[in-house]
Amino acid sequence: MPDQEPLIKVEDLSVRFHSSKGVAHAVDHVSFEIFPSETLALVGETGCGKSVTARSIIRLVPEPPGEYASGRVLLKNDDSTFTDVLAAPMKQVRAIRGDRISMIFQDPGKALNPALTVGRQLAEVFGEHRASVILGDAGIGGAKAGALVRRIAQQRAGALSRGAYSLVSRKKSIALQKSIDDLVIRALADTGIPNPRKIMNSYPHELSGGMKQRVMIAQALACDPDLLIADEPTTALDVTIQARILELIHQMQQRRGTAILYITHDLSLVREFADRVAVMYAGRIVETGPAREVLASPQHPYTQGLLAAIPRSQTPRGELAAIPGSVPHLIDPPAQCHFASRCQWAAPACSRDVPRLLSLSPKREVACLRFEQAADRSSAPEDMPIRAEFERKMTS
Amino acid sequence: MIPSPSSVATDYDMASGAVVTLNDVKVHYPVKEGILQRVTGQVRAVDGVDLTITRGKTMGLVGESGCGKTTLGRVIAGLVSPTSGDLWLDLNPEQQAEIQRLRALSPSAMTVAEREIWKKLEANHRLGSMSREKQRKYRRNCQVVFQDAFSSLNPRQLVREIVGRPLRVHKEASGEELDRRVIELLERVGLGAQHMLRYPHQFSGGQRQRISIARALALNPEFVILDEPTSALDVSVQAQILNLLVELQKDLGLTYLFITHDLGVVQHMSDQIAVMYLGQIAEYGPTDQVFNSPLHPYSRILRDSNPTLEGEVAGSKWELSGTVPNPINPPRGCRLHPRCPVATASCGWSVDDLLFTVEDRTPALYETISGVERASDFQAQVMFESDDAAGEFANTAGQLGALVASDQALSVDGKSVTLRFPEVSDAALLPMSPGRWTSCTRTQTMGKLPPS
Repeated sequence: MPDQEPLIKVEDLSVRFHSSKGVAHAVDHVSFEIFPSETLALVGETGCGKSVTARSIIRLVPEPPGEYASGRVLLKNDDSTFTDVLAAPMKQVRAIRGDRISMIFQDPGKALNPALTVGRQLAEVFGEHRASVILGDAGIGGAKAGALVRRIAQQRAGALSRGAYSLVSRKKSIALQKSIDDLVIRALADTGIPNPRKIMNSYPHELSGGMKQRVMIAQALACDPDLLIADEPTTALDVTIQARILELIHQMQQRRGTAILYITHDLSLVREFADRVAVMYAGRIVETGPAREVLASPQHPYTQGLLAAIPRSQTPRGELAAIPGSVPHLIDPPAQCHFASRCQWAAPACSRDVPRLLSLSPKREVACLRFEQAADRSSAPEDMPIRAEFERKMTS
Repeated sequence: MIPSPSSVATDYDMASGAVVTLNDVKVHYPVKEGILQRVTGQVRAVDGVDLTITRGKTMGLVGESGCGKTTLGRVIAGLVSPTSGDLWLDLNPEQQAEIQRLRALSPSAMTVAEREIWKKLEANHRLGSMSREKQRKYRRNCQVVFQDAFSSLNPRQLVREIVGRPLRVHKEASGEELDRRVIELLERVGLGAQHMLRYPHQFSGGQRQRISIARALALNPEFVILDEPTSALDVSVQAQILNLLVELQKDLGLTYLFITHDLGVVQHMSDQIAVMYLGQIAEYGPTDQVFNSPLHPYSRILRDSNPTLEGEVAGSKWELSGTVPNPINPPRGCRLHPRCPVATASCGWSVDDLLFTVEDRTPALYETISGVERASDFQAQVMFESDDAAGEFANTAGQLGALVASDQALSVDGKSVTLRFPEVSDAALLPMSPGRWTSCTRTQTMGKLPPS
């Protein structure tokens, strides 16, 4: 995979939120890449900026109070040029959303519109991005169809303006509805929903949580996106259903070659479902690498603490290695390692300098001063955290 | 040889004693329909649970959402009164044996002396029959920590009021004494005097859960019900809270009922676990044994679907198929059988179970049914639009495991299929080995979990 060109490049992204208390640095100089048909997991605790990072990719962070303070999100086009999502005109961004990049949200109960049937909501996607296909299927002829018919096709799929019905002939109208229904049914059937025709006409409250999440997936994958952003897709679901939904996402990925940005707080899921993992803490990426390697030998103290805190069968009761303290506030944070206050290795240099993401081995990067040279930091060597463990590793 | 206990309620560490004993507890909620709000059915949230919570131990209660675990917790806390069944407090083994014996008798069959004993037991130990004084004592003795510390703390009260409230209500302390006790409690859970004059919104999720725990401990209870205490927290904070709970248990000799859907947490925390499915206990036993060698397919499915850091479980993974059946009309026999990977014809199929499963899995086939004539829950004639559909229905039923080697169960006759399932009663929780109980009828006959 690494020899391929990345599908999406996030470069030096910073997102800030302005509030009455000050400026919150939600995402702080984050860079990463996602390659085609790979799964990158973005892991971190509540408030670490993982969701804001994901939303920034399709420019969903509301401005104001949000602000893209720096950085670019480069999406690769078919002709090997890159579109900067953050700088592109809104019309172009809307064309990308749902078509080339789509998103599954955490709580399917809240993400679906309770006032529309499932079929109507799914049709919106097709109306927005596949109006010509709908017209073609209905036999109205994509190229020849006038602007009006095209518009009706979109509206029929979406908001539906009743007045527009009468403007096309009744025959065309029926054909149009049929072609939309066919697309919706195909999309629903793809996710393993047993009776798409019935589900299509039901409202979200009539469906179970797992079923709603399937509808969300169908909606997200309706237009064969290049990148699927899954923001904690299974947090609201039971374990037995979680396994099935993740399996479904995985199958869909294999069938279509979709890249997935998988956002989660659950490290045990990462092991099974991600190729690479990026661990975030307080708005910064602190460690990246192949999922299994990172979980087997975490290098950053935060990743180590996070893994040790998970209850396992052999941990004696009451002796979980909790990370002391809590996540720092991100409002006007000082320029330092944000983990310093909770870190067992912390040294004076840690509260003065921001660690850089350094390459440890070809695929792994860690942002910790333990892996940096005192000379590069112009700090006194005794101020730097102990490197003993790291050096032992390098020599062995 | 240990005398085999007659009910899971008597299977506990008798030396430690029982805090709470449940006998056949049911909670049914009426379903009302129409303008007149007539009762058209009952949602069986909890449907016949026997359980004993041993003093000083942690009992884990696991299950998926909607299985009735929170309702059961509320019954035990005295927040919901059961529709039927008894909740006994502080029984010694003799009293427990006595109750088991008397319960088996019908009231009319009891002698006068027995009736006296029963009345006395009820007045002293049964929640609902005992004096108000005693009930109030139980309320003090049994406290609850709720799942969501965001909504279980009053946002308009200071921490001093929240934590001091139980002390004030029970007239334990007031004035300076109250403040002193509140500070003591806050220090106990890792907070301090400086937090006393703040509002809940000024705290993080973990700190809020600590405040909830401090409030629960205010009256020195011996029994604490923990209803998903960490499911809203991050892993690193969850570890802090779990450590705190264990430390408190050691120092204060607390008994916990730990309700959760997180198997990793329950495995770490509890001595005994009860796995619930659709309002009933599917399996009960010591935590390690239930995890390592489950005796109910549902426990095994739960274990297999739970992602771990340690890698895959050996052997194939078992999965649930289909959706949760309607708790208004739960499956007969073993409640899991319509979704169970190892179900056979003997698991208790009824007409409704088969029709529900067919509707769930193959809706197209379900739509070809033109009519159903029921003779009873287990016998019916299903009419189809065509001969082919009837044949396919018979096939599907066979694949579902609804009929194996029982020719009488189903006969195809042109456009109609006659179903004749053997009548079964609800699956009972039976002991397999000391301390291990399962309600899987196949496991009960085979002595081990059926092979896949």
